[in-house]
Amino acid sequence: MKADEVSLSRLMTMAQGGDRQAYGTLLTECQRWLRSYFGRRVPPAVLDDLVQETLLALHQKLATWDATRPFLPWLAAIARYRWVDQLRRIYRRQESELPETLTSPDEEEAVAARISLESLFSRLPRRQARAIELVKIEGLSVAEAAELTGQSESLIKVNIHRGVRKLTAMIEKA
Amino acid sequence: MTQSTDSLIAQLVDGLEPVRPMRASEGFAVAFAALGLSLAAVVLIADVRPDVISALQQPVFLLSAGLFLLLGLASSAAVVAMARPQVGSEHSGWIWAAAMAALLPVAAVIVALADTSAVLARSAAISGSDCLLAASGLGLLTFAALTWWLRRGAPTSPDRAGLVTGIAAGSFGIFAYSFNCTYSDIVHIGLWHSAAVATCAMIGRLVVPHLIRW
Repeated sequence: MKADEVSLSRLMTMAQGGDRQAYGTLLTECQRWLRSYFGRRVPPAVLDDLVQETLLALHQKLATWDATRPFLPWLAAIARYRWVDQLRRIYRRQESELPETLTSPDEEEAVAARISLESLFSRLPRRQARAIELVKIEGLSVAEAAELTGQSESLIKVNIHRGVRKLTAMIEKA
Repeated sequence: MTQSTDSLIAQLVDGLEPVRPMRASEGFAVAFAALGLSLAAVVLIADVRPDVISALQQPVFLLSAGLFLLLGLASSAAVVAMARPQVGSEHSGWIWAAAMAALLPVAAVIVALADTSAVLARSAAISGSDCLLAASGLGLLTFAALTWWLRRGAPTSPDRAGLVTGIAAGSFGIFAYSFNCTYSDIVHIGLWHSAAVATCAMIGRLVVPHLIRW
């Protein structure tokens, strides 16, 4: 089945009512959606952890979804929250390969663009986005990122700190 | 996490219990209950000012109490909304209410600078600190109620949620205490009553995020 807004909302309503079969289907679809969603902004090495953390958060905060509102922006807000939280924790990683198959369903392009991590990231000042991208996503050291960008090491650290703080404040903004 | 995502999903499905979705109306009810308790506490413990009827006809009292009530309502509404995550939500209505309430300290400073002797004498530091302490104490009710609401929910901006919780608590606290405070001059209200809101906002910003992270 395709993870579209209407189906996910219906499954979520049933899950809130205690329907385990619907919940299993919902979580499986959410898993797929989250893998695609995080794809470009998360190192492959931590993708599984982040998807699992987000599913766990979804489970714990099931009651916070309102059936009168769309499901995917709710899931995206939780996903962004977990992503920013992980950005805070991760400084280094070994792999920098990015998965290639990262597309959203055509009919949901507008929604996907609005709630994507890219739209959040694009709101950061360029220097802050670049510093986070290099150190926290691509896994370079602070020194390597400094050399590559021409910024001093302390400026790289400051930009990461400010950028992550700004992302935290913007999680629900489109 | 080392387990596979499929086995995590199986565990989560096994642990599923029916949940009752959070309703915004419940959040508002909690906030109103806290406001009601604050007013009841003023009536039962601190006593209503003896000239309350004539105070209700004084523009400064009416405007300031109204502004703090509106700020409390707008902030509470924002906190209620913040508990339910949603990309695209702004929660910025409280900022306008805060901007309007900020006119009170601005007006207080202008008046105080123009008439330093008589007005400042009436705004004695001791009675001012009474207002600050009492309003902060009364604000604890709103503070606890909204923090409980946020803990039930999933606020994605804990720092901002903490700040706005503090503003709501301080605003409801000083609104309730206005019915006890016998000062109705703009300098006292603009400085001390606004300081109560600012103090609660600061406490909320510092304390609440630690209580609501998830």
